[in-house]
Order: sequence, then structure tokens, then C-alpha cells
Amino acid sequence: MSQATQIEQRTTEVISSPEAHTAPPALEVSGISKSFTHRRRETNVLNNVSLKVEQQEFVSIVGPSGCGKSTLFHMIGGLVKPDAGTILMNGKIVTGQRGEISYMPQQPALFPWRTIEDNVLLAGEIKGTLRDGAREEARHWLAKVGLSGFEHAYPHMLSGGMQQRAAFLRALLAPQELMLLDEPFSALDALTRSEMQRWLLELWEENRRSVLFITHNIEEALLLSNRIYVFSGRPGSILHTVDVPFPRPRRDEITDSPEFLKLKRQLSQWMREEQAKNGKQPSK
Amino acid sequence: MRSTWKLIWPPLVAVVFFLTVWQLSVSLFHIESWILPSPADIARESTSNASGLWAHTMATLRLTLIGFPIGTGVGLIVALLLHLLPWAKRAFYPLIILSQNVPSIALGPLLIIWFGFGLLPKIVLITLVCFFPVAVAAMGGLAQSDQVMMNYMKMAGASKWQIFTKLELPSSIPALFSGVKISATYAVMGAVVAEWIGADKGIGYYMLLQKSAYRTDRMFVAIVIIVLLSLVLFAIIALLEKWLVRWKPRRNS
Repeated sequence: MSQATQIEQRTTEVISSPEAHTAPPALEVSGISKSFTHRRRETNVLNNVSLKVEQQEFVSIVGPSGCGKSTLFHMIGGLVKPDAGTILMNGKIVTGQRGEISYMPQQPALFPWRTIEDNVLLAGEIKGTLRDGAREEARHWLAKVGLSGFEHAYPHMLSGGMQQRAAFLRALLAPQELMLLDEPFSALDALTRSEMQRWLLELWEENRRSVLFITHNIEEALLLSNRIYVFSGRPGSILHTVDVPFPRPRRDEITDSPEFLKLKRQLSQWMREEQAKNGKQPSK
Repeated sequence: MRSTWKLIWPPLVAVVFFLTVWQLSVSLFHIESWILPSPADIARESTSNASGLWAHTMATLRLTLIGFPIGTGVGLIVALLLHLLPWAKRAFYPLIILSQNVPSIALGPLLIIWFGFGLLPKIVLITLVCFFPVAVAAMGGLAQSDQVMMNYMKMAGASKWQIFTKLELPSSIPALFSGVKISATYAVMGAVVAEWIGADKGIGYYMLLQKSAYRTDRMFVAIVIIVLLSLVLFAIIALLEKWLVRWKPRRNS
């Protein structure tokens, strides 16, 4: 089946199926391809990528660096238009539209001239959805994530982990349902990182949101996700899809279970193979 | 307090050293005071003629304080307009840079022909001198907002105006201030030059008067006053910056 008909079928499916009583997926990416031209040399970054995030599902993307994960995020966020393919959210085509997602970048990227409280409220402010109680709600959440007393502090006064928590809260309190988290813990040291993973797991299980999560860390992905997409090296495409079977609420101990270790080994091997294949390529 | 003292003493020692060398060389080499008066001569002269100097200083200060805000304001408006209209920036930015190659002193006589001897030509001159550093600094600051924050704003669905007010404008403030600080010192200079061209009071006028009388010591007094005026204005702007940009992490020096 050609790509075009595949997409067409998918959209008509969404629009015309009367028996679809279950809600459409929070995010459905179908057949996305993208190339960039730089100095007359075309680089294919993403090749026919299709993935799905069901409502209130936690989905991860793992892959070697340079596999186009960030480009995919920019596309879902409407910054970059795909060469081919469509992006649907809640059954609506939103390809190239901005303001549909809540985004947490790799660096906290808190606005340094805003207090923590004002930073956390930024997304709602942009969308114009701040209600009267928004400030109280923000304060309540800040206390909940261990940032009480820092409401009126400026970002530079906080440690890296605290800044990440504030950035996460900014994404969580955004009016958009779908959250895109782009390697949020990659800049943290190992200890803070595992602490933040547990923190995120607990928080997410309490407040289920649809999440698409990019990470390099296989253990992190297994611990947090319902499903993992393993990306190939450039041009990025989906090599494997892994459904993570562990029941929720998950606790830290599952990382020691044989099944977890088996999955981890399998994923690590795929990643190693991909990394090796990339290394063999003559030019970068 | 100790740390501020640490910052202050090296330049203080340098200034004292410089004045000492000056004083010693004037007396050792027997330099005539109409060529180069000693620091002590200058200090003596400034106190003996204080009341007359005060009036001149106030006149220059007044001119500066009128011209500087106008010049800064014009610079800001130019920067905002050119930033918000990219085609205008492409068209006019080279012209603005070119305009800085015209020496302000050469413009003075022209301005007097066009605007007479009153306040207006002087204000125009100060504005022409002041607006450039502010405009360039502000445009640079506005164009260099953080890319990750910019992406965040766009993905969050921010409009062009929201991106401007919530990201570009606040992140340009530190750069803007470095321009305003430069233009503060330029404003004092501009006021003095304006007074050279046509005035009946002010430090610039005083300098011309003393030049024709070969009173080198008095000219030095005038220079000291100009330096002090610039310093005070600079310090006020620096304090304002410190208060407005208090969100910036303080660098340990």
C-alpha cells in the first residue's frame, strides 16, 4: 500500500467510523518523512515514522543520537513541517499547527526574569486560559514537588534538579493535554536522575496524562513507559515497538525482576547494534 | 563591604599614582603652567571660582538631562521599529551605521542654520549622538534571545506579540543597558559640543572663553567637571540596571 492511500484511509477511518466509541489517540503520527538540505546536500532525517500515544498513555522513544528524535518533536510542536505524512491529535489533523502540545525541553529553559511561580504559569498565560485560582493551584503544586518557599525565587537560585522539576511543572500545568518531554533528565547527575525518575513515575501515576518521552536511557524508558519505540540511526525510522508489561503502580523494585532485566538486555542489544552500524558509516 | 573595597582600591591607587607622577613632573621639569598646570593648581583654581562654575555646570547638566532621555527614547523606538519590521531593518540599518560616520561637530553649524540658537539645535545634536549606541545595543539584544526558549514559546502557540513582550524584550534588557550606559557619557559630551557651537552659558561655553584667555588651568577644571558629570550619570544608570536586572545571576569576580 502506498503512503498516500495509507494516510487517506487513516483519516477517513477517524472521521467516518461511527462505532468508534473509544476516544481517538491523543497523538497519532503517520508516515512522517523529513529531509534537510544544507549546502546542496540533502540529509534524510526521518523516514516513514508512524507512532501512537493513546489517551493517558506514557510512550517513550529511544534511539542513538542524531536519529531525528528532536526533529520529530519539533514537527509535532508545529515548528517544522514534514515532507510527507500527517500528525493527528484527538482525531484532528494538526500537522504544522502550533500551541497544541505542552513541551519540556532538554535544558530547563526557565525564563530567568520570571519568578518560579510565573514560570510555571507561562503556558496558561500564553494560551489565555489562566483562571482566578491558577496562582493558588501553582503554589499548591510547587509545594507538592518540594519547591515551596521558592515561589518568588528566580531560576538561577535553584539547583539543576529543582529547575527541572519547575520546568516539568510548567509542562504539567499547561492547558494542553499531550506532554512532550525531550530527554528531560539528560543534564542531571546519576543520583539526581534516578531520584527524578522515581518522582516522575509517582507523579504521572497519580495524574495520568498522555506523554511522549525521548530518552537515551533504556532503564528509564522501561521503568516509566507503557510502550517503547526503538529508533534506528539516521535516517530515523522505527525498528522495534516494545510493549512494557509491568502493572501499575510500578515501584523501583521491578528494575531487579528477571523480566525487566531480560527486556533491558534485549533493548540494549538493539541499541548497540544500531550504534555500531552508525559508527561504521564513513562520514558523519 | 570588604568585597566592594577590593573592587575599588586598584583603580583608586592607579589614579593617585597618575596624579602624583603628573604633579612631580610638572615641578621637576619646570613646565609652565599655561602649558600644563599641575593637579594642585587645578584644584586651587576650581575652589577659587566655585560659584561661577556652578552656574555653568548646572546649565550643562540641564541640557544633558533634557537631551539624554530624548536621545535614548529615539534610539529605543528606532530599535523596536526595525526589529518588528524586518524589511525596514534590512533597508535602514546600513544607513544608520553610515550616519555615525558624520562627525557631530560638523553638523553643529548646519543645525544652527536650520534651528537657530535656542535649545532645539542642541537637543537635536545630543539626540543624534545618543540614539546610536542605544539603537544598536537594543537591536542586538532583541535579536539574540535564547533559541530553546524561542522554540518553547512557538510550540506553546505564542503569538508574535507575545514572543516579543514575554521573551525578546526582557531578554534584551541587559544588552540595552550597556548601550544606555555608553549613551549617557555621550550625552554629556554632546552637550559640551553643542555649547561650543552656540551658547552663552555652560561648561562648553566656559571652555571656549578660557581658551581665548590661555587659562589652561581653568580648561582643566572644565574637563574635570565633564568627567565627573559623566561618571555620576553612568553610576545612576548602573544602579538602575542592577535593580532592574536583579534576576541575573551575580558573577563572582
